[in-house]
This record gives sequence, structure tokens and C-alpha cells, in this order.
Amino acid sequence: MGKYIGKRMIHLVWIMFAVSFLTFLLMYLSPGDAAMKKLYAQGVEVSEEVLEATRKSMGLDRPFLVQYGDWALKALRFDLGTSFRDNTPVSAKILKGLRYTSVLTLSSLILSLLISLPLALITALKKDTLLDDIVRFFSFIGNSLPNFLISVLLMYFLCVKAKLLPVVADKSFRGLIMPCTALSIPLTGRFIRQFRAEILEQLSKPFITGAQTRGVKKRYILGNVLHNSAIPILTIVGLSVGTLLGGSVVIETIFRWPGLGKMAMDAITYRDYPVIQGFVLFTSTVYVVINLVTDISYRIVDPRLREQ
Amino acid sequence: MKKTLSILVVLCLLLSVFAGCSSGGNGGSSEPKWLKMAVSFMYPSLDVHKDYNGWYTSIYGISETLFRVDDDMSIKPLLATENYIVSDDGLTWTFELADAKFSNGNPVTAEMVVRNLQRLAEVNERFAYLKEFTLIAADDKYFSITTKDIYPTLLTDLTSPEMGIMDLDATEDFDNAPVCTGPFVVKSMVPEETVEVERNTAYWNGDVKLEGATFIYLADDEAKLNAMQAGDVYAYNSVTAAAKAIYEADPKTYNLTVIPATRLQFYVLNKNNLSDNVRAAINLTVDNDKIAEYLGGTVSAAVGPFNPAAPYGQVTKPAVDTVKAKELIEADGYTMGDDGFYQKDGKTLEVRIHYYKARSLDSIAVLMQEQLQDIGIKATPIAVEDADSTYAATGDYDIALYCMIADKAGDPYFAINSLFREASRWAKAGFANDECEALINELEFETDVAKRAELANRIVQMVIDDNAFGFVGLFNKTTVTSHGVTGVAENCPFDFYGIDADTDMN
Repeated sequence: MGKYIGKRMIHLVWIMFAVSFLTFLLMYLSPGDAAMKKLYAQGVEVSEEVLEATRKSMGLDRPFLVQYGDWALKALRFDLGTSFRDNTPVSAKILKGLRYTSVLTLSSLILSLLISLPLALITALKKDTLLDDIVRFFSFIGNSLPNFLISVLLMYFLCVKAKLLPVVADKSFRGLIMPCTALSIPLTGRFIRQFRAEILEQLSKPFITGAQTRGVKKRYILGNVLHNSAIPILTIVGLSVGTLLGGSVVIETIFRWPGLGKMAMDAITYRDYPVIQGFVLFTSTVYVVINLVTDISYRIVDPRLREQ
Repeated sequence: MKKTLSILVVLCLLLSVFAGCSSGGNGGSSEPKWLKMAVSFMYPSLDVHKDYNGWYTSIYGISETLFRVDDDMSIKPLLATENYIVSDDGLTWTFELADAKFSNGNPVTAEMVVRNLQRLAEVNERFAYLKEFTLIAADDKYFSITTKDIYPTLLTDLTSPEMGIMDLDATEDFDNAPVCTGPFVVKSMVPEETVEVERNTAYWNGDVKLEGATFIYLADDEAKLNAMQAGDVYAYNSVTAAAKAIYEADPKTYNLTVIPATRLQFYVLNKNNLSDNVRAAINLTVDNDKIAEYLGGTVSAAVGPFNPAAPYGQVTKPAVDTVKAKELIEADGYTMGDDGFYQKDGKTLEVRIHYYKARSLDSIAVLMQEQLQDIGIKATPIAVEDADSTYAATGDYDIALYCMIADKAGDPYFAINSLFREASRWAKAGFANDECEALINELEFETDVAKRAELANRIVQMVIDDNAFGFVGLFNKTTVTSHGVTGVAENCPFDFYGIDADTDMN
């Protein structure tokens, strides 16, 4: 196991190098730079001299490889630099964003799992009944609705009409309810459909039919079904965690939730290279680690894999 | 059954707890006068001199400048008095300071003003030109600025919000708590989330009506609308056309103020690619009134780059005339093809409209496409993410749409210098005119306000007559308020003013 983890960690270094280099190159090649974004932010024209002077003061007039090399050398010393926008250390910005994104991710994931797992199981067991049809219909709708529409509808009904929650929420539990719900609705819809399909597949296996004909108790059969469905379900959840930890730009923007998604989007808008680079390093690490954790969990759930 | 009942009871309890906690307050008479205002943009720092932070410290009522621009676009003294003197050679301006005080009670001295201007020149590239001026504090009340050449727009420059005056010695944290002279002082700040200000009890320029205000960063237009409807905010500007219709339908709750502002939507016609007749035909076809109508009252149709009420906004342009437009195209040797587009030598008359998706330029591009195609010009809108680094920089376009602040502080020189100079980036489109350049040079050094307006009108008229540009619309400043909120700069065309001592809630 240790050797396996070590090998994956070596892969991580290469992935981080490749991703950071490509991102830096793409940013360098894309039109506009941080100096332009900074100076034209309010729609005021500036002279070419001012633009050049600002580029120079920000170090943007240097050749690409010098800029990347400078950044990479600092990154090797765990210094991700400071934001062009507010001079805050990038690591501090990422940590702050991560704190909020983690809270939102975990709460949405827990809420979605609490709703979707039992519903997926029930609808799989009651396949093609009215209940199954209703749940499938709503899970389809939930999965299809775009985040911004869910957010606006929630705001309108819960805040404007019912006045249960404030539109302008703080970062307390009450402030978490709306973004968490908005994020959970499509996630729950997707989970229900995917989990249901996995459970149905297991239920159609010959050993289940055999167990049923032998009169094995239903709860034992269900236990086996859930156990066998665990690997694909873990994969779905693992991939969702990776995506969620990248942040949800739309929801974070609408609900003013200062997570990683909003931070990354702002950084891209303002061509804040140090923040973008820091974010890319962070997300690539998260994806590799989440995949590693998912793979390890397979080995825990299915002992046959440990010997491979 | 018992289970269902108990679940229902718990749900009801939870709902009642939320309902009890919901803000929904409407600022009743017994409540403190505390304004909640949404803003579409928020800088992570309150350092008045850096970037455009000064715009926001001015909006928050924290910082003040030596002069300010009034609602009628005239320049009025603020921290300085109107008793300024310009030397006979026009190079040295001597200013007298008002008896202003910082929020900590320290007086605003000439030495502090000079140090502020020097710091601004150091930390903000856009104001680095101040380094070329000689700044001298004669005593506590008087200071002078000596320029190398005659600089008629100095007063205009001194209204720039970045020129806000801070107590540089007393300020310990420039990013979060600058000590300034405004009617409000910083209470708390969460970067890019909220800024809370409270009344400056030692305000030097009269009584402050509000106890304080909270500025809430809400970038999303729907969120602003919902927050307004839920009573979470009491005012904001840059109201969208859709939200405007909703507020207009409920005049008892909401007060809408719409005034023409200073942000200009315009297009540049590339003389290198388009003949004189085709450019004239395009300008005779683009119907600004219809575009303004389509944009739901968020813009006013423009004639020139400036507010038509300003003395330097007195220009004319020919009325829309598609028959004449077609005649002009045909005079250029084009004939109408079977596909409904003009052709010459087997080639279709085609123009590319470059635009970026902001400030309704995307809608304008499509509307222009429709209008041009109606008379037989095939138009293709081309969207880019960033105009400044693409078509605006290279000059590779037939028609380039752009939006900018045309009037920074009640003077035409800034826009004229930015747009029509031979050295302007838009000059790549081929507009170069010695007479116009000479007039701009004259405008640069002209000190008489009436003469400046006359020169500006001549220059802009020259550009219009040459069909080098098309001025589509001036963005309206649309402000919505509720809870009896007044005085949030709703009648001021500039973006960098917000609350002041007279802002009130009833």
C-alpha cells in the first residue's frame, strides 16, 4: 500500500508541473493582462505610457520563461506569491476560500446523501411504481435545473415571498442554508438517478434471484446489494467532492459565499496570475488526493483488490 | 400518524424560528437611520490613493477632495475654498484651504495636502504626472501647484476621487481604516463583502443625518433585485431594464431616478476598410433612438460623446435616413444582389462589428446588424472577451464597439484627447485630421471655459461630419431607493459619489 501511495505522489509532482506550466502559458497567450484589467477597471482610458509603466511595476514586461521560472522557484519554496489585486498572500486567500468551500461542500454532500441514498434504495425496490415515477420526475427536474435558476427561485420564494431567510446572508448557519440547498438540489437529483441505477443493476444479478428463491431475509439481501454498490457509489461521491471543492462559481457569487470558485473566477477576470496558479496547484492536488483516497477505499471495501 | 404529526410540529417550529430571525425590517421611525446599500463593485482596500479605491471611499462618504463636481457638472470647492489664484503666466495655482478637519480632529494642513498628492503620484501610475508638478506648502492654509505648461484642467483633476485627502500621520492601516475628512468613518470592513461606516461625530462641514451605512457587495443583478424586494437593501444604482420595470410597477414602495450619465457607448468606423460613402451610410442607418428604446431606458440616445445639456455637448448629426444611405452606397458603384445585399465586382458589401460582452454592447451589435442588413449591408458581429488587448489595440475591425467614461469631471478634454488624437489607439482606424489635431492642441491649453466648450463642439462636429465615429448612447444612471432614502447621489451623473452628510431616511 505504501509503495502504491508513493508512486501516486510522484505522479502528483509531474501533474502539478504540467498543469501549472500549461496554465501559465495559456494565461500568457490569452488577450489582456493584469495591468490592463487594473487600469481599465472603471472604463477610464489611459495612455500607453501609463500602461507600460504599470506592466513594468507588476513584472509583466518580462519574457514568459522568466516569469514562469520566477513563479515556479518560489512555489518550490512553498511561496505562492501575492495577489496582484490586493497584495494578500495567495496561500492565505486559498485557505480562506477553502474554509468556506469545505463547509459548503460537506454540508451539501451530507444533505444530498441523506436524501438520495434512501430514495434511491426505495425507488429501486419499488421500481415502476407511482412513487418511483414521482421521485424520478423530481430528480430529473432537479438535475436539469441550472444552478443560477435554482438560486434565484430559492431567493424569490424563501427570502422575498416567505421572508424566512435574508437575501444578504452572513457566514453563519442561516447564511449557509440557501447556498447549501441550491447546491444540493441538482446533486441530489443526480445522486438519486445514479445510485438507483447501480442498485437496480445489483438487484438484477443472479445471486440475488438465487438468494430470494432460497428465502434469504430481505435485509441480508439488501446488505449485500448495498455492499456491492458501494464501489460505484464511492466513485460518484469521490468525483463530486473533487468538483465541489473546486468551488461553485455561480452559487458563491449569487449568495456572496467567499469560496474557492468565486476566488478563482475573480482571479481569471482580473488576470491575477499568482492566484490562478495557486488555485490550479491546489485543485490538481485535490483531484489526485481524492482519486487516491477513492482508490484506497476500494481496497478497503473490496478485499480482492488488495492483492492486485 | 403520531410520527407525521410530530414531524409537522417540528417543521412549524423551525419555520417560526427562521421567520422570527428574518431581518425584513423596514427602518421604522424608532430605528436608527442606518442605510443598507448594495454596490456592484468593491475593492479589497480602502487606501484612497491606490487603484480606483478612491471612487469607493468617496461613495462610502469616507474621503473628500479639494474640489468636487456638482450635480450640474460645475466644479465646487470642498476642502479648498473658491479663493484660488492663477499666476499671470498661467503656470502657478495657489489654493486656500477651508477650515476642514480630519475625523480625528486634526486640521487639514497645506503640508498634509501636498504630501497626499506626492503619495498619490508614487502609488498610482495614472497620477504619476503629478511628479512633474512643483508642489509647495506656503503655510498651514495655502499651497501652490506649479505646472510645466499651462494646465487648464487642473481643477478637474483635483476633483478626481483618488485625490482624496488622508491624515497620513494618523492612519495606521491604509487598507482598512484610513483617517479622512468625510462625513463617515470606517466601522468595519470585510474585503469584497461589506463595508460599514458610521457617522463622523467631528465632521467639519455640518450635521450628518445618517447614523451610518452598510455597503453590501452584490455582483449579481438578480440578487440585488431580490435583496431590494426583501428589504435587505434600501438603495442601489445600475438598475437593469428588467428590474426597472418591476420597480416602476410599484411606485409606492420604490423611488426610481433616471438621469443621463457619463458612460458612452460608441463605435469607430475604420476608414482603412470602409469608404466615405459606406461610413456615411452606416451612420445614416444606425438608429440610436430605437437602440435606446430596446435597451429599456437604461441608456439615452446620444448625438455626440457628451451630455447634450453640457455646453460642450452642442453638436448635431443627420437624422436617420435609410433612403439616402442606399443612394450613397449605390453612388459608390454597389448594386443590390439577389441575396438582398449590395455587391460590387462580385463581392458582397460586408462589415465586421467587433464588440465585447459588457455594457449592453452585445445587444447593440445585434441591433446594428439588423439595421444594416435591412438596407443591404451584410454585418457580422464578432465577440471578443477583451477589447483592450484585441481589436482596440490592433485596429483590425470594420466597426469597433466600445464603452468608456467620456466625461470624467465636467470637462471635454479627457474624452477628446483619448479618442480623437493622432496618438490615440483609435487613430489606427484612420481618423487623422491636422485641423482637428490643432484644435485639440488649442483645447489642451485653453483656460477660458466658454472657449473650451466652443473648441470641443468644433472638434466633435468635425469627427461626426467625417463619419469617423458613431455615438450610440449615454448610459443612464438609474438609482432605486426605498424606505424614504434620499441623497445617495441619485441626481449626480458621476459614478464616484454616494452618501454624504445630507443623505437621509424618512
